[in-house]
Amino acid sequence: MTVALPEQRFPGRILPVTLPAGPGGSPVTVGGQNALPCTPEGERPNLPAVGMEVRTGAEELPPSLRSAIGELAADPVSLARRCVSEWGARFLFLDLSLCHPDSGGRSVADGAALAREVLDAVPAPVIVGGCGDEEVDARLFPAVAEAAPRPVFLSYAEEKNYRLLAGAALAYGHGLVSWSPIDINMAKQINLLLADLGFPADRVIMDPLTGGLGYGLEYTCSIVERIRLSGLQGDAMLARPVLCHLGDAWKAREASDASETSWGDADRRGRRWEETTGLACLAAGADLLVCRHPGNVARLSGAAWR
Amino acid sequence: MALTALEIYKLLPKTNCKDCGFPTCLAFAMQMAAGKATVELCPHASEEAKETLGSAAAPPLPKVTIGTGRDEVILGDETVLFRHEKTFYHPTAIAVSVSDDLPPDAFGERLRAIRALSFERVGQRIGVDLVALRCGSGDPVAYAKAAAAALEATGLPLVLLAPPGPLAAAADAVEGSRPLLAPPAADLGAAAKMAAERKLPLRVRADGIGGLYDALRAARAAGAKELVADPAPGDSRGAVEGSVQIRRLAILSRNRDLACPTAFDLGEPFPEPFGTAALLIPKYGSLLVLDTADPADILPLLTLRQNVFTDPQRPIQVEPGVYAVGNVTSSSPVLITTNFSLTYFTVRGDVEASRVPAYLLIADVDGMSVLTAWAAGKFTGESIAKMLSGCGIGEKVGHRTLILPGMVARLSGRIEELSSWRVLVGPQESSAIPPYLRRLPPAAFLPANA
Repeated sequence: MTVALPEQRFPGRILPVTLPAGPGGSPVTVGGQNALPCTPEGERPNLPAVGMEVRTGAEELPPSLRSAIGELAADPVSLARRCVSEWGARFLFLDLSLCHPDSGGRSVADGAALAREVLDAVPAPVIVGGCGDEEVDARLFPAVAEAAPRPVFLSYAEEKNYRLLAGAALAYGHGLVSWSPIDINMAKQINLLLADLGFPADRVIMDPLTGGLGYGLEYTCSIVERIRLSGLQGDAMLARPVLCHLGDAWKAREASDASETSWGDADRRGRRWEETTGLACLAAGADLLVCRHPGNVARLSGAAWR
Repeated sequence: MALTALEIYKLLPKTNCKDCGFPTCLAFAMQMAAGKATVELCPHASEEAKETLGSAAAPPLPKVTIGTGRDEVILGDETVLFRHEKTFYHPTAIAVSVSDDLPPDAFGERLRAIRALSFERVGQRIGVDLVALRCGSGDPVAYAKAAAAALEATGLPLVLLAPPGPLAAAADAVEGSRPLLAPPAADLGAAAKMAAERKLPLRVRADGIGGLYDALRAARAAGAKELVADPAPGDSRGAVEGSVQIRRLAILSRNRDLACPTAFDLGEPFPEPFGTAALLIPKYGSLLVLDTADPADILPLLTLRQNVFTDPQRPIQVEPGVYAVGNVTSSSPVLITTNFSLTYFTVRGDVEASRVPAYLLIADVDGMSVLTAWAAGKFTGESIAKMLSGCGIGEKVGHRTLILPGMVARLSGRIEELSSWRVLVGPQESSAIPPYLRRLPPAAFLPANA
């Protein structure tokens, strides 16, 4: 028997956004779809893309990451190369935490120089993240914007700093990640503010803040679903590609605690914790995932068919 | 689609006879539209009205119960496609498999491992719900014995994955425990009769939605009533799309023929069983059979299930009170925040990350975040002063210095006015707690000299 299957058709379409690559690299384009994830109908010209985070500040790695990338922890440029050439990351998220007063306190010039070095070493698209200290980032982003030899995306613009970031990005042709704290109204608001400044919409991706598995992931999933539904229903300010940064998955005790043996091997458990977080984000509609475990690039990419 | 009160009203006698217990037919219709009354209350309703209103009131996705008593598992009975629209009610049931042809020691060990897959998280117990018994022996006697042993050892309801002979023997051996009969696709006819006679739930497995349509009809024709649908996918994508289609047929199309809870056997040789399970938990899978009993696999899946099936209207709350983080002493810092679980876990995680032992006061604000609770008047100078004097923290520390979330810095004056405590305004964001705590001068926490 042939059964008539329901379809959910929408008037809107997610704006395609391209993360540019360097010479010899492949740019990453996401968005362009006019359908919900995990459904057969509609058009989806671009599949979700999985990238890897390259952290630069001093930190204690969970067992799972220590065994996978520990030897490269102090060498971000080599780590960046391996992420792309060996593990299949389609883009990098370079986190300049080395400039944070608590994880190295290196100068803004050092941060910008490192960004330049990574950009010269790998041709893949790069998103450059700040160090998280408001005062330092206010100097760091303009320095990175100026030093970057090719277009990147700066992460992230929020209500407090969007003028500064938009200015720096516009001056040097970069894109922006617009950030909001698991709140659909604030997600829309920051995109509106950027639009009001004349920032080009096709150079903005949204980061609605990703809670780790067990620590607020459900809020993220629901916000991503609501952003996607609103965008497809025609709200242009929300019809944008969504990035989920899985870093918070590693903050969970379950992802790192080796002392709790009834939870199973900490190495496997940590990797699974990040993988599960990423899969839930994909099911909700994420277009870009940033992971840290090399093994999860292929695992998450394998599920990125929707 | 659910009917509006006016649509329902048009189907009623419109006599306002009050026999239903409501003052008017319109009032009755409004109650029905809200799901608070059923058409049976109206003794004068036409047959047409009863049929239309009866099916409109029935849940779009029927409920299927496996097992009995405390460990019973409810599948289906869902009403929405997205949890923010209302909530998801019945968590994806997780079954871990064991085969009846394992050597006795390994069989017992496997059952113990399955039983151990139970964890405490956020004050809730989360665990594997069922044992899926595979029939490797092909022998009814061995299979029935294994079923009885599995039930005895774990107390969990069973999914009986077996052809008709062993299936019948096992159903007899665990009579009264309400297992799910899960025959191979080819044996549907015999198993459907068995399910009808014994009033047991039946998993119907067939290729794709079209195949399921025919198979579910056949099972119903044989008298089986509580059905679970397995579209027999070959890979992850097939499983997720099948699951989504079945849920949409139930919710959007109100298709009564295909509206069933779903089941997926992700055991050998299914590719990528873990990743598929993690996608099917948010994407409407009702029952998943897994071969892995590794807690490093099961704990993340159970945690995802706990997240997805949390009612978005009712945040998980933590018990208010005094929490010690690390090896606290009488000169440890004292921080206060609210009992919204996400707030609590975030702040707790950041305090742990600071490696500074500290006391965490969790205020009872009905599970709201700091700013929301402040805006709602539940996190105030008065309530905080009351907590400081009533929670016993004064006996645990020698000092009288409270670290207040930076977002509610404006409360500090009132707190100092109403209590003997001095207030330090902490960071606005929890993530800034580690450096903040590390930089605090120890002198701030010396014993208060009256």
